[in-house]
Amino acid sequence: MIVLNTKGIIAQLNKRFDNSFQSDTLYIGKPLQNFVLDKYEAILKEIINKVASGETILKQHLKFPTNTSKGILTLRLDFYLEDTHIYAVGTDVTQDDKERQALEAISALGKIAAWYYNPITEELFWSRECYKMHGIDPNDTDRDEKGFYNYAEEIQERAKKYLYELLETKQRYDYIETVTKQGAKTYLRIAAEPVLHNNKIIFVNGTVADVTERQEYIEQLKESEETKRLALKGIRSGLFDHMIETNMVYYSPSFRRMLGLPLKEEFLPEEEFRKMIHPEDVEAALTRHLENLEKEDAYYFNYYRLRHLDGEYLHYEVYGYCKKDANGHTTRMIGNLINVNERKKSEQTVLRNQRHLQAIINNGFVYTFLLDANGNILMTDEASAKIIVKDFNINPNKVSVRFMDILPLNFKNTYADSFNEALKGHISRKEVERVTSQGHSQWLEVKYTPITDDTGSVTAVLISSLDITEQKMAEIAIKEAHLKEQELNSFKTNILANFSHEIRTPLNGIMAISQLLITEEDAEERNKLLAYLDESKDRLLETVTNLSNFSEIEAIKTNLNLTKCDLNFTVESSFREYDHLAEVKALDYKLILDKSSPKVAIDEQLFRTAFNNIVHNAIKYTQEGTITVSIATDETRTNALISVKDTGIGMEAANLTKIFDPFVQESIGMSRKYEGTGIGLSLSKRYIEILNGSIEVNSELAKGSEFIIKLPLYS
Amino acid sequence: MNILYVEDNKINAMVMDKMLSKENSQVTIAKNGLEALEIVKKEIPDLILLDINLGKNQMDGCEVLKKLQDLEIAKSTPVFAVTAYAMPNDEHRFKNIGFDQYFSKPVNFTKLLTEIKKLKI
Repeated sequence: MIVLNTKGIIAQLNKRFDNSFQSDTLYIGKPLQNFVLDKYEAILKEIINKVASGETILKQHLKFPTNTSKGILTLRLDFYLEDTHIYAVGTDVTQDDKERQALEAISALGKIAAWYYNPITEELFWSRECYKMHGIDPNDTDRDEKGFYNYAEEIQERAKKYLYELLETKQRYDYIETVTKQGAKTYLRIAAEPVLHNNKIIFVNGTVADVTERQEYIEQLKESEETKRLALKGIRSGLFDHMIETNMVYYSPSFRRMLGLPLKEEFLPEEEFRKMIHPEDVEAALTRHLENLEKEDAYYFNYYRLRHLDGEYLHYEVYGYCKKDANGHTTRMIGNLINVNERKKSEQTVLRNQRHLQAIINNGFVYTFLLDANGNILMTDEASAKIIVKDFNINPNKVSVRFMDILPLNFKNTYADSFNEALKGHISRKEVERVTSQGHSQWLEVKYTPITDDTGSVTAVLISSLDITEQKMAEIAIKEAHLKEQELNSFKTNILANFSHEIRTPLNGIMAISQLLITEEDAEERNKLLAYLDESKDRLLETVTNLSNFSEIEAIKTNLNLTKCDLNFTVESSFREYDHLAEVKALDYKLILDKSSPKVAIDEQLFRTAFNNIVHNAIKYTQEGTITVSIATDETRTNALISVKDTGIGMEAANLTKIFDPFVQESIGMSRKYEGTGIGLSLSKRYIEILNGSIEVNSELAKGSEFIIKLPLYS
Repeated sequence: MNILYVEDNKINAMVMDKMLSKENSQVTIAKNGLEALEIVKKEIPDLILLDINLGKNQMDGCEVLKKLQDLEIAKSTPVFAVTAYAMPNDEHRFKNIGFDQYFSKPVNFTKLLTEIKKLKI
């Protein structure tokens, strides 16, 4: 007990106090302030002031330095005023306080608070930090007495249960407690360890740590772990997290960057996002979205165009994974939005290219087939497809069809050869003649082109065909013309050879006789030779005179090779030569033979030249309709009549007489020139006349013409 | 030397006879192919001169040569073509079918006699 005056000067000390200090220092008459630790000076001064004015202060801890082994002495003092003196009465709590100091020091180092429990005194001690952690002000409580009651009601029982278990089992414990501190959830990790002496618990040391941050971190981790897991299921990067219940969407920074969303806002209502979808896509996208959420499996797929910062719409695809609750409702969807604009563009390019290709295929060639390496049709033009649909009831652009199976029998072999060559990487060309559904003949140049991949192996074969009917016809016509020219050339050569022969024969005599005359001395012989010479000279002169009068027609006449011919046969073989030409023009091309098989004596070559010319003209000047060639005999059975009737352009009556007028170039002279395929009608007329025949023509403009050749029958 | 000359033109036959007789050759004239074949069947000459154009409806020289070849006469006996056919390709044409020599009309007798002399040796 210390007695102080109201100024705080020590008036008296009892023995106990003195013992406690064990010092020789004189205390009486000195202020108590001088003997406390510096940090208690102010506290003490205030206490003295308060107590001097009549207040009572209880259980005030004060620390005093001593010279003893105790070091710092801690006294718990009650101050009160008695008369004019202040009485300070208390106990030495130094021993208790040391422990306390140590715990408090530890507490101050981290967010850990210390506590202990003395099973003997059943005292539960909390450090100041313990109170703070539990949301209790350490200053306004009687810390010693409250013990377990410091715990909030809801956790009191649990705390007791853990502690009592420890007392029994002597095992340490460690658990996480949740307390609500000023309305906020706080996680506390409570740990305790028994101190044993003679296998008895004499003390329990405990700690409390505020692990809220850590716990929250773990919770976050758990959540992000889930996110990661979901994301992995949802594939790739660029994530967003759609909370279906709140309809809020969390967008990852890469996502926000991708869309040009504000980087600061992590969450955006789904409705806001929807505004960015292309107006044309939004309805379908929303329908798909809802379907995705409702369907059974968790995978999510959607696609739409999204507006970027610059206002441009780009193609996106969403791959995601839905988290479902126990009822199967989607509560959360982790999605991954992928910019597929480049891909979409290339898809469109491919589609466009495919359309271009189809256009080329449809219009570039007559028939085009793209086959795979197994010979199945990958693509064909519309016209071919139509034919195949008509003939086989299969559309090769929709169903896989083997090209071999739709080919006419006579094409299969050439196809197989060419296709195999193409598979080896060789291009081949073939000319084929096919008959159209209208029965016309069509010439095709079919080209087989191998198509290789990067490695050079053949993956497809393009079969393209060009209609070369016209060229083919022209070719045939040119060949014919050449043949005719050759014939005529050899004809001329023959005439020339004959002329030469006719001159050289008498010339031989003349020259030989002249030679003999030089050496012949016998007068009689000489006269004889001179007579022969004269004769030879006359013959030569006659030959030369004849030659100068020799007109071309006469040359033909003298070289005529008249033979007995079956007119049916002769006309038919000429008629056949023009089959192709008529077919190409889709004309009805008819031949009517005479049953009596009329015979005529003609130079067949000359007749053909004349007749072919007329038939050719008939086809040439007829665009549609009928060409009829007919053979007949007249009533008196003296003449054969060959008629060539067409439904062509016809001629005006005024021109009818002119058509047979000779043209210079149509003579068979050196300057003779073929006009296209035929020689002039005038020549036909003259040739027929050489054969003792005649030609007549009847014609009507725009209706057609009929040429009638009359030849005397052979008798 | 016995020479058979197949020629339908009388003057040409006569002048050949005169030319060759001067060189000590016996010339027999045949007016056409058939006559010529009759003659060779009796006695094979040392040389046969064949005109080609032997008149209308007659065997020509080429056909006569063919017969001679069939009779295996042409093998041992030289056959010369003597003809007014003198177009660029004619010499080749006639030699090609088996004539040993070709002489165009008017005949170059110097050349013909030289060839005949070669045969005598």
